Amino acid sequence: MSSWVYLSRRLIQLPLVLFVASLTIFSLLHITPGDPVQIMLGMETSPDAVAALRAQFHLDQPLPMQYLIWVGDAIRGDLGNSIRLSQPVLHIIEQRFPISLGLAAAAMGLTLVVAIPAGIFSALRRNTFVDYLITGLSIGGIAIPNFVLALVLIYVFSVTLGWFPITGIGSRARVGDTLWQIYSPFILPSVALAAAEIGLLTRFMRSSMIDVLSRDYIRTARAKGLPGWWIIVVHGMKNAMIPVVTISAIQFGYLIGIQITIEFIFAIPGMGSALLEAVVNRDFPVVQGLTLMTAVFFVLANIVADTLYVLLDPRIRY
Amino acid sequence: MSAVTFAPPERSNSALSLASGQFLGNRAALVSFVCFVLITVACLAAPLIAPYDPVAISLSDKLQAPGMAHWLGTDYFGRDVLSRVLYGGRVSLMVALLVVVASTLVGVPIGLLAGFAGGRVDNALMRIMDAFLTFPPLLLAVAIVGVLGPSIENVMLALALVRVPVFARIVRSSTLSIREETYVKAARVLGSGWVRILVTHVLRNAIAPIVVQITIVFAGAIVSEASISFLGLGAQPPSPSWGRDLNEARRFLEDAPWLLFGPSIAILVSVLSVNFIGDGLRDALDPRAWQTLRRATARGSAAQGATPGRSQ
Repeated sequence: MSSWVYLSRRLIQLPLVLFVASLTIFSLLHITPGDPVQIMLGMETSPDAVAALRAQFHLDQPLPMQYLIWVGDAIRGDLGNSIRLSQPVLHIIEQRFPISLGLAAAAMGLTLVVAIPAGIFSALRRNTFVDYLITGLSIGGIAIPNFVLALVLIYVFSVTLGWFPITGIGSRARVGDTLWQIYSPFILPSVALAAAEIGLLTRFMRSSMIDVLSRDYIRTARAKGLPGWWIIVVHGMKNAMIPVVTISAIQFGYLIGIQITIEFIFAIPGMGSALLEAVVNRDFPVVQGLTLMTAVFFVLANIVADTLYVLLDPRIRY
Repeated sequence: MSAVTFAPPERSNSALSLASGQFLGNRAALVSFVCFVLITVACLAAPLIAPYDPVAISLSDKLQAPGMAHWLGTDYFGRDVLSRVLYGGRVSLMVALLVVVASTLVGVPIGLLAGFAGGRVDNALMRIMDAFLTFPPLLLAVAIVGVLGPSIENVMLALALVRVPVFARIVRSSTLSIREETYVKAARVLGSGWVRILVTHVLRNAIAPIVVQITIVFAGAIVSEASISFLGLGAQPPSPSWGRDLNEARRFLEDAPWLLFGPSIAILVSVLSVNFIGDGLRDALDPRAWQTLRRATARGSAAQGATPGRSQ
């Protein structure tokens, strides 16, 4: 019961957080002296055209007014129009967000599937060669920047071995495409994206498992004569998963943020590459809308993490 | 006998020597430290040791595989990769250093002020810090760089801005706990001004988490700068840069895969070594670890003192 109270309290705070976040984005984007309209239309346009366009994007209003107009529209579900693409920002998000979300989900799934067994195995074989190997790989995975790993993976698996295509995510599926044709472009990007998370969560799972295995209830279970695998899975793993699950929720929000380089390399039409295009074109409404959307997602992921923590561990009360 | 007559030094000296003893005893940290110093010296000495001019174009030498003339090969414009890695490191390490300095200099005072003043000041400052933490850092940095215009200076500014809240938060939480310590109350009763208390008592005791955080931010800044330069928003051609050069390597994966090698290894080794240095410092600055070391040393010197006694 109390966890639901806690969750609702966090959700009530959400608008406040978003208000501050929107104010931050807005002020950051307006400290620049450049006039996007002038940049867009070029130098030899009539002042009337510039003025008309400025009025259309409310750039002729004082800054506080511009902010109020933007937030007011955003609350009603209108994030404005792209200056470049002449389509609503919301439309761009609708197109791009599911792709980024899908990639992040694939990476997170891969992370959990690899990190949890690896962490448990490492904990059970503590201070053996296998443990050192897994720890070494984890540290390497955390330290290598994802775009560097992506380039190495492309070189090995696409260029040399020719196993996986480099691009293809987000292209329209045709009738008759095999499952492999549809899903194989996801493999390399998700591995590149997941490597650091796998390293991180393996480390967490290992230390959490070591901690749990030293508890009294594990000794009790042993004394009762329960089979070893039952103790490890039911008593050990179930409890050791608690911190790992909550951390993975936070990391999921984080993945959306760091996959910009991956989207760039693999030409994935997600949020990151949309932001990059908008930034290069100085398309302010799109930059504002996309960063705000990511902030919403990031904050939600954190709330989910906190709530999971309360739900999974009945000892914790807020 | 000399070990027994060894006079216990002053407390601060002893803490420092214990910490450095702990750090030097950590093999990974020590090796990493040596690696990092080597990289830094090599990059700083680039004008002296680089075999070629990093921006000199020589089309007749383009895309040459590693060999005696060019240890790491040449790129599409015939520029020597090794020289570019060395010069690129100057930019990467300088950016990371300035990001650390700037975010520490801004974040630490904010954290001190928030933690010590408490109440409304604390609330206002921390809500602003929280606002920055509602964004994924890399994405926010890309947005800021995008607005300010692509350049290495703006990358630095954006990365520093994004890391300020991290320092503010850590220092604030240390300050909150240290503020209640008896020695701080005593100093207050004795009439010390609050600036003096902040600097001599609070900051001095918060130094361990700050130092560890500095290594984390330093490593993070190397990766972020490389990422942003890789995206084309950081260092601009033809100036050498690890991230930017990897972007160019990307286009010749089939014909010249060796272009990947230099910048990737440079990034990986710097990040790894800084991470291990951070781990070593974390252990070295943890007084609980000194206890065991102190006990071990005491036991060692006692044994040394006892052995000659028995033989006599």
